[in-house]
Amino acid sequence: MGRYLRTVNAFQIRTQTTRDEVLADGQNIEFGAVVDMIVARPNRLRAEVTSDKQQRLYFDDGKTFSVWARRMNYYATVPAPATLRELADTLADRYNLELPVADLFYWGDTRNTEQIRGAMDIGPSQIDGVTCEHYAFRQDGADWQVWIQQGDYPLPRKLVITTLSDPARPKFTSVMTWNLAPSFNDAAFAFVPPKDARRIMLIQAPLGRDSQ
Amino acid sequence: MSRPMLPHVVSGVVVAAMLSGGVAFAQRGGGARMSRGAAAGSVSRIGGGDFNRTANFNRNVDADRNVSSNVNVNRSANVNRDVNWDRDVDVNVDHHYGGWGYGCCYNPVGAAAAATAAAVTTAAVVGSVVHTLPPSCEAVSINGFTYQHCGSTWYQPQFSGSAVTYVVVNPPR
Repeated sequence: MGRYLRTVNAFQIRTQTTRDEVLADGQNIEFGAVVDMIVARPNRLRAEVTSDKQQRLYFDDGKTFSVWARRMNYYATVPAPATLRELADTLADRYNLELPVADLFYWGDTRNTEQIRGAMDIGPSQIDGVTCEHYAFRQDGADWQVWIQQGDYPLPRKLVITTLSDPARPKFTSVMTWNLAPSFNDAAFAFVPPKDARRIMLIQAPLGRDSQ
Repeated sequence: MSRPMLPHVVSGVVVAAMLSGGVAFAQRGGGARMSRGAAAGSVSRIGGGDFNRTANFNRNVDADRNVSSNVNVNRSANVNRDVNWDRDVDVNVDHHYGGWGYGCCYNPVGAAAAATAAAVTTAAVVGSVVHTLPPSCEAVSINGFTYQHCGSTWYQPQFSGSAVTYVVVNPPR
């Protein structure tokens, strides 16, 4: 799957995600979001995240990364690195910002497999009417499962991550719909601030975290 | 034995609240709570050296208590006080949630207003971070960045992760 993903130069996905938030007393509360994303490798991305809580648009036009809070109409820009993988790293390390479905930019990279401590092939499973192979993995800090489309297009169709560091074991799920022939133009990746939008800073993460 | 059973976990109080139309009570009960974290949204950055900075662990949720003993003090991405007074649109529009786009806990507007009123009477400490502005702020652009001038206090809005927070700053002009 990872190797195949690396060969897909442009794609559009729409994913429905849910994520548990753990209250102080250990109760899990699930929040949902929809992510619409267009990606053109190596370094262009447009993602719109709409949740009950937030509406955010992320742009990487190859030179600049922008985040725009549409409803509050604040935006911030920072220079973008050469690849989306590096962008995901930079945003997470320096700005504590997680790109939606960031795994898509990492898979196919040997570094991932080093973390895996156990793997099972669970068997065939249908996701949105598509026959997938269901796998389950264990690694430090997380159990996770991925459903990979069978056949010539081994795309991840579903991802479930159970976080183990919290005794409440909060869960994240993402069900992905793929379009491998997206239509877009350069303008799709460029953020042009609306006239009344206000620029603010994207603040850096504290050093303590960064240096870990 | 064939009698349908009500789930035992639902307490009489909650049932009563729901039946009496008090759903808001049930929903907003979470407003007084804090979230201690959220599920990781990516496996690629979990584990090994990346673990501690990956997921949303240990995030301090309670925005207004910026000086909590929580490790990631300035990272208080996840907001508990989410009523944005600065919005020119509907109050519940954007909840300024956490760095990963999620968060918890609604706060009734009344409670937030009370909290805000209480906050106004104390001097805002430069460097403190809040997730809501007091009412009646004026947005001012200085050197290309936006400030919010609220009474005698200046706030600088910022993205802290994907969440918008406001840090109290010295008057920029």
